[in-house]
Amino acid sequence: MNQPIVMSDMERRELLWKRIHRVLPFLSLGLLLALWVYVSQGENARFPSPGATWDRFLLIMRHPIKGLTIFGHVWASLQRVCIALICAWLFGIAFGILTGWYRKSDSLLTPLFTAFRSVPPLAWIPLITIWFGLGEFPKILLVFIGSIPAIVVNTHAGMRFVQKIYLDVGTMFNANARQKLFKIAIPSALDAIFAGIRTSTSAAWMVVLAAEMLGGKSGVGFLIIRGMDSLDMPLVLLSMIFIGLVGALLAIITQLTELLLCPWTRKQSN
Amino acid sequence: MPMDAKTVKLSLRHICQSYVVGNAVRDAVVDVSLDVFDNEFLVILGPGQCGKSVLLNIVGGLERPIDGGVFLDACRIEGSDPRIAMVFQKLALMPWKTVLDNVAFGPQIAGTDKAVWRAEAQKYIDLVGLQGFEKSYPFELSGGMKQRVGIARAYTGNPEILLMDEPFGQLDAQTRYAMEDEIQRIWQQEKRTVLFVTNNIEEAVYLGDRIVLLSNGPAHIKEIYEIGLPRPRHMTDPDFLAIRKKIADNMDLAI
Ligand SMILES: Nc1ncnc2c1ncn2[C@@H]1O[C@H](COP(=O)(O)OP(=O)(O)OP(=O)(O)O)[C@@H](O)[C@H]1O
Ligand SMILES: [Mg+2]
Repeated sequence: MNQPIVMSDMERRELLWKRIHRVLPFLSLGLLLALWVYVSQGENARFPSPGATWDRFLLIMRHPIKGLTIFGHVWASLQRVCIALICAWLFGIAFGILTGWYRKSDSLLTPLFTAFRSVPPLAWIPLITIWFGLGEFPKILLVFIGSIPAIVVNTHAGMRFVQKIYLDVGTMFNANARQKLFKIAIPSALDAIFAGIRTSTSAAWMVVLAAEMLGGKSGVGFLIIRGMDSLDMPLVLLSMIFIGLVGALLAIITQLTELLLCPWTRKQSN
Repeated sequence: MPMDAKTVKLSLRHICQSYVVGNAVRDAVVDVSLDVFDNEFLVILGPGQCGKSVLLNIVGGLERPIDGGVFLDACRIEGSDPRIAMVFQKLALMPWKTVLDNVAFGPQIAGTDKAVWRAEAQKYIDLVGLQGFEKSYPFELSGGMKQRVGIARAYTGNPEILLMDEPFGQLDAQTRYAMEDEIQRIWQQEKRTVLFVTNNIEEAVYLGDRIVLLSNGPAHIKEIYEIGLPRPRHMTDPDFLAIRKKIADNMDLAI
């Protein structure tokens, strides 16, 4: 500390760039805010201003829509996503392990799954609505359908391409088939499985909005449609902001969970 | 050790291996017969891609030869045998396991009590000089340390034969020299019968009691050298250099 730090030009430039990189995100956020203020100015602006959006937020907190504040609606959507995701993960991981690990079930089941997967989840809406109406179950089912492909595909790939050398280590120590599956193949596929969990989570968050737009009394998807129907642009924008925030939050949570449960994957993220 | 004190520990008899590649049959190992003595450090030296790994995998039970057999204590063995362990060419440490769990993998699979495998693994972690790294993951270790884990893993479970497939092939020169000394220290402390595969003549002469020189692929035995030099050896010793030259002149160039 007493000694003056001598830096070469290059080091100094590097330090400068490091500082600039730290500031850049705030700069771009600031620019976005400025743009927002700018486009929402004037008498007949087609975009609600930050102030109007904030007021709408306070309003919905005081006068809930269909008995729910914005947080209530977010929570309603999240509940659907959670139920659907847990089912999708349980089923999808089991299915992926089955088809990725056992050749016979791969040949038998993977074509069926590929056929199912090539239909985008939203194409199921008419059938599901006709069969199950507009209640809670069809929404969850739709989210389930939307999140299943990512988790199955990733788990399948992870299990299909377990490195032979790890299995050789198992053979060397006389591991039986069960041990090879549970002690070697599944752990080695964990990072692929987590990639599936991450992708399926964002897919679920997307599909739940579509499901809620069909009808119902709760959820951010419902809220955004309600805003559109009543030309309540601040409400639309408010919903959009919350959708973005929750989406980002979900991504961060899954990432952190992965780091916590599989600390060795830090290698890739560094 | 006088000649007659040697007992044969492991025998390979007429080992042949070939693979179907496209619609041709390609030989990888041709009629390799070999006796390995108890507690001997035997080096198998051969050019790249000649079939060294194939031969070692057959001894380790990872592949089945199309002809010939492997005999341990004069009894034929089929498949992998708990008395034989391997240090793999490509490390093969499991990235999701800590050093301790990697080293203890064998006894864990065998269903040994936790207290027993812990002590066993700790003994060999100490032997290879990795105390303090038990909870580290492989990605946190240097190349030399990773290979130490591989060596400790092979030792736990207390095998009688250790197979080492170019264990130092991927290390930088400096670490490699250090590890060559380490493996001698470890082996002298915990004597086992070692089959050590390498394509490096210097390493072979530095480590081996005997050197089995393989031809270019398909591999067959060209010659077996008895290295009488006392340990520790020095790579600049005239006797060392003479043996080195003799073998080098006889060794095929890798294609
Ligand atoms: N399962 C297999 N199928 C077909 N060919 C194989 C198979 N395993 C090995 N080979 C072939 O046998 C030959 C010998 O391979 P091997 O891995 O034993 O060489 P090596 O001497 O260990 O080489 P290196 O020094 O690079 O480790 C190679 O040409 C390889 O392509
Ligand atoms: Mg090899």
